[in-house]
Order: sequence, then C-alpha cells, then structure tokens
Amino acid sequence: CFYAFVEDLCSLNQCKREQRCVFVTFCPNSCQSIPVSNDTRDLLLATVSEDSTASQIHQSVSALSALGLPLASQEVVSALKARISKEDNVLAIILALLTASRLSQQAELGDILEEIEDLAARLDDLGGVYLQFEEGLEATALFVSAAYSLSDHVDMEPPLKEDQVIQLVNSIFSKKSWDSLSEAFSVASAAASLSNNHFHVPVIVSAQGPAAVSHSHPFLRLQVTDVLCQPLSSASVLAESASAVSSKSAVLSQALFTLRDGVFELNFMASQPASGYYQFSVAIAGDSRFVANHVELKVKVSTRVAINNMDLSVVDKDQSIGPKTTRVEYPTKAKASFMADGHQNFAMTFQLVDETTGVELTPHQTFVRLHNQKTGQEVVFVAEPDSKNLYKFELDTAERKTEFDSISGTYALYLMVGDATLENPILWNVADVVLKFLDEEAPGTIQAKTLYVPKPEIPHLFREPEKKPPTAVSNTFTALVLSPFLLLLILWFKLGANISNFTLSPSTILFHIGHAATLGLMYVYWTHLNMFQTLKYLAIIGSLTFLAGNRMLAQKAKWFPLHFLSFGTRLISQI
Amino acid sequence: MSNNSVISVISRFLEEYASSTPNKLKVIDAYLLYVMMTGALQFLYCLLVGTFPFNSFLSGFISCVGSFILAVCLRIQINPQNKGKFLSISPERAFADFLFAHTVLHLVVINFIG
Repeated sequence: CFYAFVEDLCSLNQCKREQRCVFVTFCPNSCQSIPVSNDTRDLLLATVSEDSTASQIHQSVSALSALGLPLASQEVVSALKARISKEDNVLAIILALLTASRLSQQAELGDILEEIEDLAARLDDLGGVYLQFEEGLEATALFVSAAYSLSDHVDMEPPLKEDQVIQLVNSIFSKKSWDSLSEAFSVASAAASLSNNHFHVPVIVSAQGPAAVSHSHPFLRLQVTDVLCQPLSSASVLAESASAVSSKSAVLSQALFTLRDGVFELNFMASQPASGYYQFSVAIAGDSRFVANHVELKVKVSTRVAINNMDLSVVDKDQSIGPKTTRVEYPTKAKASFMADGHQNFAMTFQLVDETTGVELTPHQTFVRLHNQKTGQEVVFVAEPDSKNLYKFELDTAERKTEFDSISGTYALYLMVGDATLENPILWNVADVVLKFLDEEAPGTIQAKTLYVPKPEIPHLFREPEKKPPTAVSNTFTALVLSPFLLLLILWFKLGANISNFTLSPSTILFHIGHAATLGLMYVYWTHLNMFQTLKYLAIIGSLTFLAGNRMLAQKAKWFPLHFLSFGTRLISQI
Repeated sequence: MSNNSVISVISRFLEEYASSTPNKLKVIDAYLLYVMMTGALQFLYCLLVGTFPFNSFLSGFISCVGSFILAVCLRIQINPQNKGKFLSISPERAFADFLFAHTVLHLVVINFIG
C-alpha cells in the first residue's frame, strides 16, 4: 500500500517535489524494495544542489538513502558546505550534520565534522547548570542527536567535554511537558542518542524512595540508569566515602554496592552510624563511555529515641529540706501530683538516648508543655541539655508568673521530643503539677489574646477655622481705611485741581477709557480671571492706553492733575 | 522754651511749604498723605485683630508702601528744582513711568490679595 501510494504521488506531476521527498525521508530501510520511477529519482538527485535549502537537501538525501538509490556523496558535501555558509543558522547546520550521517564513510566529512565544535561554542551557559541554544530546547536536543549520529557514523569522538554533556542533559530534560510534537520528538531523539552511542553515556543515579536508612531499613538503595531510565547492569557502583555532615568524620570507605533486582544496594547500618546526615560520594564504573559517573548524595540515618532516668523532684528554695525525687518510666504517668509554690520549685531531669546503641542524643525539639485543663491555658518551655547531655527543666513560680498570668491550678505536664532523624517522636504526659502563685490577681475570665479584631476608630479632626474678628469690627475698619480717600479729594479740591481744563480730544478720551478699563480689569482679575488671561487683556488695553497717552503727551494738554486724580481711584483696591 | 521753638519751627516750615511749593507738588503731597494714612490704618487693624488672612494684609500694605515709593519718585522727578538731574526725563515721561510701574504693582497686589 505504501508503495502504491508513493508511485501515485510520483505520477502526480502537479505535486511539488518537496512533498514527495518528505514522505520517503523517514522511511525505514525496508523501503529499499520499493520500485521508484526514474523521474522521481532524477527529481531527488536534482534537489541536491546549492540552490535548495539545507532542509530540502536533508530530505532528498534521506529519501535516496532510504530507497537504496545511489547518490554522489561528494556532491552532497559540497552542496552542504555551500548551504552552511549561505544560511549560517543553527538549524541549517544541524540538518547538515544529520545529512552527513547518511553519506558514505569514504566521503570527505571532515569540514562538516568541525561544525560540531563550532556549534558547541555557540551554546549559552546558564549559571553553569544549563547549556542550550538561544533558539531553544528543540535546537539543543536536535544538535545532540545530530552530533552523536554523525560521530558514530565516522567513528570519531565528538568534541564535547564531560561538563558540557552534563549541562546539555540538564537542559534537554528540564521540562516535563512539551509545547509541540516536534519538541517532544527532538527530546526523544536526543535521549535515544545519549543512551545509545559509542562515546558518551550519561549516568543517572537516584535513590529508590527517600535516601534514608534506619534499623528497620538498613539498606541504601540506588537506581543507576541511563537517560532513558534503562538500568545499567554492567556498572559497578562504589561508595568511595561517606562522612558525617556535622562532624566530618569518615564512616565508610570503598564499599561496593551489590546488584539485586536491577537496584544497587548497600547495607549502611552495618557500619553502625550514629543518627544524623551523611554525605556519600559514589562512583560508577564499568564502561569507559560513562559520563557524570561521580555523584554526591546526602543520606539520612534515623533512629528511635528512648527516655532514660526521668526524675521529677520538688526542690525547696532555701535548700533546708532535701529534694524528693520520683522516677517515672515512659510511657506511664506519675501517680502523685507535684506542688510548686513560693517555697518550692519543681525540677525535672532526663536523658535522651538512642534506643539501640545507647548513645546520648540531642534532638532539635525538647519542649515541656504545661496545660491548665480548666482554663485551657498552655505554656511551653524549652528543656536544655547541660554539658553531659543531661536535660534539665526547672520551674520557679515566682519567676514565671507572667507566662502563667498568675493563675494557680493543676497543670498537666507534657514532654515533647522531636527531630528529623527520629522515627518515634514523643508526646508524654509525665505528671500533674499544682502551681500556686503569690498575689493572685484573679483576672476572672481568660480572654484569648485578640490580635485581629478591628481597632477603635480614630475620628478625623477637621482643621479648625481661624478665629476671625466680629463683622462689626472689620466693617468699621473698612470704612476707616476708605476715609483717607475722602480727605484726599478734599485736599485736592482745595488745591484747585484742574478738572475744568479738560480738552476733549480722541486720544484723551481713549486714554481715559483705557485707564478705566485697566482698573476694571484689575477688579475682574480679583474675582474671575487668572494671571495668564489678565496678562492677555492687559497687553491689549495697555498698548491702547500707551498709544493714546503718547499722543496726549505730544499735545501737552493740562491733563496732569486730572489724570493723577483718576489714577488715585486705583487705590480702592486696597480694601 | 523748646516747646515754643519746635512749634515755631513747624509753623515756619508750613508757611514756607505753602508759599514756595508749586501746585503740582502739593497735589502729589496730598496723595502721599492719603497713601500713608491708608497704610497706617491697615497696620493698626492688623495689630488689633490679628494677621488672618495674612496674604491680604500683606498685599494691601505692600500696595500702600509701593504706591508711596512710586509717588515719591514721581515727585522727585517732577520737581523743577531737580531739573538739572533729570535732563533726559521729562515730567510727562516721569508720569508715564509712574503709571506703568503702578500697573505692574497692582497686578501683583491683586494676584496676592486672594
């Protein structure tokens, strides 16, 4: 059916030649049995030239080699070289590499091989962890598969250093879902070439489950696989060293993992490590192609804790009477309750040890919780170990009355022990303690500390208006201020101001009008306008007044006192 | 005795003033007196009642002061006894300057009076 399909296509002259090439490119080798017409063959051969794109050359060469047709490798090489220099983008060079891997091994592929190194130089280093092309993930993955397929074809190691391979692996497998089918294909293709080439095989080491061991689970299990998660059974896994993170003392050296059911395991508990975190350095050998075969792992060793020598005592403050000590065994509760008041302190000592080894432990969380059953109050203290790893807790009612709000009563005492490396965290109701506080304030009901209720509203204080004098006063003063004007008029009249010598000429009238208009403008400015509008009007009125005034000056009329008088009216604005 | 001499000085001064000062200058002097009184009254009001609103008081007072100064300048320039000093400025020109300066002053005063 496929053969018939191809022949049909080849007979369709309307079809573009590229479309016919594409269908045959990814054909498996069994296509060699399909008979192809001469036209098709000529078409494919003709595509191999400098004028077609690198992608077209790749498709026709792949089609020709899949169909088993002869092709001139040297011509292809020269066409590819020409295309690389013309196109010079990453994808074109990658296609050239893929094409070259289909050519005969006798051809001069050296120049094309050098392109691998040039392309590797174009990769961007992101923080020393990732290495990828700025064109994206697809280009990076295709580059990896092309480089390795060509290197395998000519049997020459690709010029990629171990760090680069590790960083490329980080980039290519950084996504868990892909945007397009072609991206997913490129990643799959890269994974296939990385797990199955002659030169570099990156090794992936991961712990099976959490990297933790304990007495119940003494084996540290590691999965050693290639990029496609196929187990590398031929590998030998060696723990070169294991040292405690806190003390840096070495616990293990040169221990070999044994392979069981595809998983490498090591009985770490056999070395009897103390609980805590350990840094493992693991080496994987067995194949010279292995890359990234030295790994660092952090392993947790957990244990179970036991409480020893829990002694509860009531110590007299003046030390006149010896302390009465009661020993309590976990998980029982002390039968009698203990009293602590003004004369006596309550004290507690205990030891925390590893259940199996008896080594003293200092877990992160050792709390003593006192819970008042009636009021629901709870107060938590920290029990501190001394230099001999003996935990002590003392309760002095006088010192601690603020924490308890001075509420006397029976408190249940709990011991809480916890840590990341403990398998059995402990919450133990050790005893009941009766606390009596001096000067009890009897607060009545206990309110839970209300932190998140609305706060009291702050009313806004508006700005107080300024104190103004009574209207009568200001009115009086207005009249007073205006009065000198009357005085002025009287004085001027007495001096005989020339109002009668008034020559009516157009410029004089215009001047007066202009003058009055300026005064009016000032008033309007006060009430309505802003500076810009005023300046605009003033420019018009002012120029008119000026021109008229100039004319008047030329005429030298006896205008002086009159105009001075008219000018004085300006000062009304002083109100 | 000093009382008498002060009074006599003042009366003599007034006589001289009334007789020898030209009318034009007397007109300006009356104007000056008016301006000064207005300014003084404004200041008195401010002292009695307080400076609210301060900008209005300032603009009014400055208007008085400015007008006084400009009028004094005009008087100096117009005085025929000073003619030698102001050869290039005719009385009409002085008056025109006076008007222009007042325009600017009042523009500012109105702007500030609020």
